Amino acid sequence: MPFWKGLLLRFLLLFLVTLNLFAVDATLTIEKDVEQRAKIAVEDGSPLPNERAFNIFLSDLKISGHFLADDTHRQGDFATTVIDPALKSKEYLLKYSISQIQGTKLSVKLFKTSDGTMLFKKSYAIGSSAKMPFLIHKAVYDINAALKFPSIEWINRYVVFSRYTTPKHSEIVLADYTFTYQKTIIRGGLNLFPKWADSRQRSFYYTSFNGVVPTLYRLNIYSGAKSRVASSEGMMVCSDVSRDGKKILLTMAPQGQPDIYELNLATGAKTRVTHFNGIDVGGKYAEGESSVVFVSNRLGYANIFKKPIHGSAVSQVVYRGRNNNACDAFNNKVVYASRESSSAFGNNTFNIYLTATDDTASRPLTTTGSNQFPTFSSDGSVVLYLKQLGGSTSAGYINLYSKQSQLFPINGNKIQAIDW
Amino acid sequence: MNKTLLTLSTMTLLLLGGCGQPAPGGIGGNISDADTVSIDEGRYGNNGAYNSSSDGFQSVYFDFDDYTVPSSQEGAIAKDAANAQRVGGKIKVEGNCDEFGTDEYNYALGLKRAKAVKDSLVMQGVPASRMVLVSYGESNPACTAQTDACYAQNRRVDLRLVK
Repeated sequence: MPFWKGLLLRFLLLFLVTLNLFAVDATLTIEKDVEQRAKIAVEDGSPLPNERAFNIFLSDLKISGHFLADDTHRQGDFATTVIDPALKSKEYLLKYSISQIQGTKLSVKLFKTSDGTMLFKKSYAIGSSAKMPFLIHKAVYDINAALKFPSIEWINRYVVFSRYTTPKHSEIVLADYTFTYQKTIIRGGLNLFPKWADSRQRSFYYTSFNGVVPTLYRLNIYSGAKSRVASSEGMMVCSDVSRDGKKILLTMAPQGQPDIYELNLATGAKTRVTHFNGIDVGGKYAEGESSVVFVSNRLGYANIFKKPIHGSAVSQVVYRGRNNNACDAFNNKVVYASRESSSAFGNNTFNIYLTATDDTASRPLTTTGSNQFPTFSSDGSVVLYLKQLGGSTSAGYINLYSKQSQLFPINGNKIQAIDW
Repeated sequence: MNKTLLTLSTMTLLLLGGCGQPAPGGIGGNISDADTVSIDEGRYGNNGAYNSSSDGFQSVYFDFDDYTVPSSQEGAIAKDAANAQRVGGKIKVEGNCDEFGTDEYNYALGLKRAKAVKDSLVMQGVPASRMVLVSYGESNPACTAQTDACYAQNRRVDLRLVK
């Protein structure tokens, strides 16, 4: 190819990449990353072809950031080890067979297409048909690990969220990250702000408004054991849990003033972290849990600040936008929601931005619709958020390393809070 | 009784699951075959009947994204102070918001509105010890139509007696 043609091709590629960067978040993919991901085909060898399962495999492979999955729903014989020559252009072939009679049974095999070597083989089973998505997530997690790619442990986790049903009523629901699996854990009454209490997701905290004042409870999702943690007049929200689960950050208002407190669960000691005569809410552990990132209106509008837990200096984290009213932190990384318009009557645009506790630059992760509730995955590599666009709500995921993004529609009433 | 049944059924499920699947692996990690609970707290709450003030009190309305009591609402505050003297008992001051904020910040905004009403009532002679504040954020809309007038009805503080 002549030199000038190559140059023109590179210019065109750069132009397309630039276009992609400023398009909607569903196309945040950066072309150069495509070459770094493993090309993989997925073949359905189930007795009855299962497109739903195929789509979950595709989602898992895509959001992992490590695979470039072919979206053709191929069907074939699960038992054969002969690989279709047409698939030689792929690096890997993932074959699965799934059956949902009396629970869910899933078998997977991973082949290297160049020489037909079987790299991985495993069968899974679970008594519940509804939990089928979790079997697929686990299979993709195992395949990813077998290929020694960076961990995608978060793919196996439960998402817990609260949603309004009628005035002063809500329900708390468990889901897988694609929202294909959903189960209501608490129905009736007004129970909000669920937050996982431990890394194994055995229990979560939530705020009950069923008494005179808001009360924080901890519920074991398997035994149903429920214990009262704390209560406060005005507000009571558990906004974050330390890595070891021994300390939690609370928003409380014992004198009608919303401030952030840290509760040591072993001793019961409460430490008031912020002291401000306005609004301080949404405390998140940051910088190795030595400081707290939070939302405050101390400049006259909602914005993101940080302060050491045992110090007094409050510093501004975000220097853009005039209404940044929700955030999450993972070590020194911070994601926040920013309202881009100021209409008193709806249709406001919210976008998610990524910044750092030690950097003044922010980069947008979303560009269209109303995007809120940004939440880091347990390893900080992926951001979950809720997108509202054209009357529909979706859960969005952005892999910060591969720039892959995914949206999963969520049906039902308005979501109030979400954690995973 | 319910707990015993729940425990028994969970154990049975575990045992059956174990018998039926000796060869393949389960999921492991955070997700297990054990069933999760389902709790019904339907006995709590008020079935949505009280989404504005009651017991002779009037609701106090606020401007968008603001928690200072507007001068137009001074009449409502005066009537609520007079009603508080008349009815006696503990008063629940409930802060509410429209649907345009985000989770915790919106609840804090509702709380600041409730605090502003409480402070105004204290100025009019109602003892602070008679009032308890709770923010309901956007969870208790008085109106759900997507109109300007409707949104304005939700930026309010309700008052009622604690029962």
